[in-house]
Amino acid sequence: MLDFIQMIASGIAVGSSYALMGLAMVIIYKTSEVPNFAQGEMALISVFFAFMLLGHYGVPGYIAFPATLVFAAVLGFLLEFTVLRRAKNPNVLGMIVITIGLEMILLGLVSWKFGADHKDMPFPISPYESFAMGKIFVSTLEVLTLFVALIMMVTLFLFFRYSKLGMAVKATQQNKTAARLMGIRTNRIMMLTWGISSVVGCVAGLLLTPVSMEPFMMWDPMLKGFASAVLGGMTSLPGAVFGAYILGIIENLFGGYVSIEFKSVVAFVIIVLVLCVKPSGLFARHYVKKV
Amino acid sequence: MKKKLLSILLAAAMVFGISICAVAEEGVTDTEIHIGQWGPQTGPAAAWGSVARGTDAYFKMINDEGGINGRKLVLHMFDDGYNPAKTMAGVKELQEGKGMFAWVSGVGTATGLAVRDYLMEKKIPWVGPAAGSQVWITPPSKYLFGVYPLYFIEAKALCNYGATKLGKKKFAIVYQNDDYGKNGLAGAQEELGKLGMKLVETVPVEVADTDMKPHIMKLKQSEADVVLLWVTPSHAVRLVGTAAAMQFAPQWMSTSTCSDFPFMNTISKGLWTNVIAASFGELPDSPHPLMQKYKKAHEKYAAKEERWGVFFTAGIGFVEPAVEALKRCGKDLTRERFVKELEGMKNFKGILGKVSFKPFNEKDPSSRQGTNEVFLIQCTETSGSKQLTEWTKYE
Repeated sequence: MLDFIQMIASGIAVGSSYALMGLAMVIIYKTSEVPNFAQGEMALISVFFAFMLLGHYGVPGYIAFPATLVFAAVLGFLLEFTVLRRAKNPNVLGMIVITIGLEMILLGLVSWKFGADHKDMPFPISPYESFAMGKIFVSTLEVLTLFVALIMMVTLFLFFRYSKLGMAVKATQQNKTAARLMGIRTNRIMMLTWGISSVVGCVAGLLLTPVSMEPFMMWDPMLKGFASAVLGGMTSLPGAVFGAYILGIIENLFGGYVSIEFKSVVAFVIIVLVLCVKPSGLFARHYVKKV
Repeated sequence: MKKKLLSILLAAAMVFGISICAVAEEGVTDTEIHIGQWGPQTGPAAAWGSVARGTDAYFKMINDEGGINGRKLVLHMFDDGYNPAKTMAGVKELQEGKGMFAWVSGVGTATGLAVRDYLMEKKIPWVGPAAGSQVWITPPSKYLFGVYPLYFIEAKALCNYGATKLGKKKFAIVYQNDDYGKNGLAGAQEELGKLGMKLVETVPVEVADTDMKPHIMKLKQSEADVVLLWVTPSHAVRLVGTAAAMQFAPQWMSTSTCSDFPFMNTISKGLWTNVIAASFGELPDSPHPLMQKYKKAHEKYAAKEERWGVFFTAGIGFVEPAVEALKRCGKDLTRERFVKELEGMKNFKGILGKVSFKPFNEKDPSSRQGTNEVFLIQCTETSGSKQLTEWTKYE
């Protein structure tokens, strides 16, 4: 029983970082219907920017971390403005290819600038300290990640629900032409969503750095985030978060009770199953266009 | 008649001419010997890129000392990013474009496997693959000489030390689910079997795994007091870190691939302290005269940011036997002669264990495995190495 509870706790812990990446992917998908495969590497660049500030220039954390978030937002704006928006007659496939291209360029850039070996990120919290509740262990970093994920989710929910800008984003997502007719500058809205998504991804990345920091660190979290988002329905923010926790827990239970060898494959089996059985995801209401 | 004589003479001249060409071996000129090597400078295994850079500095040192029998060594090194497809393409390009006399070192088991058959079919010598994998010698090939002690041997040395010197009873292993990891697993099973013990838990890790909690839980349940790590450096750090967070503290033991203590202790934020690892070469801070000499070469020829670490010196150690054989060949350098000189090598001592080969025997793997000597070291708090055993040979 103790093992079971520990597995659930571990699953929730690892699910939090999937949740953040999933959220980041959903935000962009909601407005542009493009799964952004550059999500991980956008976070990577921002994270290495933080590393540069903290490690090389000795900037204190309370300046470096907010500066990194600003950098991430600007990066998102820039990529949307300079690359995505320039695509001629974009269709979804073309856009996906563009994001994959971006992913490779950004990865190459980081490897070239910082080298491919592991870095030691001066992060204020050690990933190796933990809270013990009886015999159940949860690391401090995981608790932090959990809280950050929940705060992010609530903030985003409130933003989309109650702010004027959030409404504009929703309107753009539902009907771009109508939104434009109502006076919404849809191009700017797209730019904004890329910025927000980049910031969320960056937070996810920053919370991963204490454990491992090297140019390939974001690929797996991005795929897991993507899997969570698909599981929850690509257009639902709470869906992505629930999807992430379900995925984390299933992975841990599978590793514990079935086979540790195939643990990392489970996520992708789930994607396939969900796509076969309920293509719109577990939590999304499928948007059907009337002809 | 005259015409006929002329054509015979011409034909003779051609044959003669060709035979003259055949004397000069591919990749060897009057002034140069061309040697190839691959190694990751980018990609997931870039930390091992310093192996090739170590070889480069070593060759530069030899060339400045006058080369080998009047010839300079020319190293053709390329970055394969630890990607077997790129290794194959790069090796073919250099071999067929420029013509290498031989290949040395080369990081990676999968990368080396991608080109082994190609090199062996062409009868091109390859000395000292930078991976202690058993595949190089099962079965042995005439032109492939292993120098890196087998991972199998390292596992035996570690288990033996743990059981006999530390008095540990419960051994477990976390191994990468491929040839590299399974070599370690087999070694541990064999040595513990000899000592009348059994592994209490074997936990496979996939390269793509990032969350190590389920793995640590399994280990914890087994109550192991020694855990062998047969994984990549980044997985090793994740495992040790996750274990620390879950308050599981066995004696960790690891392969030589994670024996670069300053590096490991930095990325693990100090958790690598007290880890015991196998080492196949003299340590960077060793007073060994050869190490002192190579250290000077490092200062002179390596890039400023290049660290004088375990992988850099390994890049020298892996190619020492090849250089020694080249020296022994004398002026008359052919591939067959080179192979013969390697086969005649007995207890050659560079900065690795003693290297010996035997005339080729396809039934005897030891004819192509140069050394099986390792010693054990322990990481100190200051990321230094405490030597636990002398050079020891295992079969």
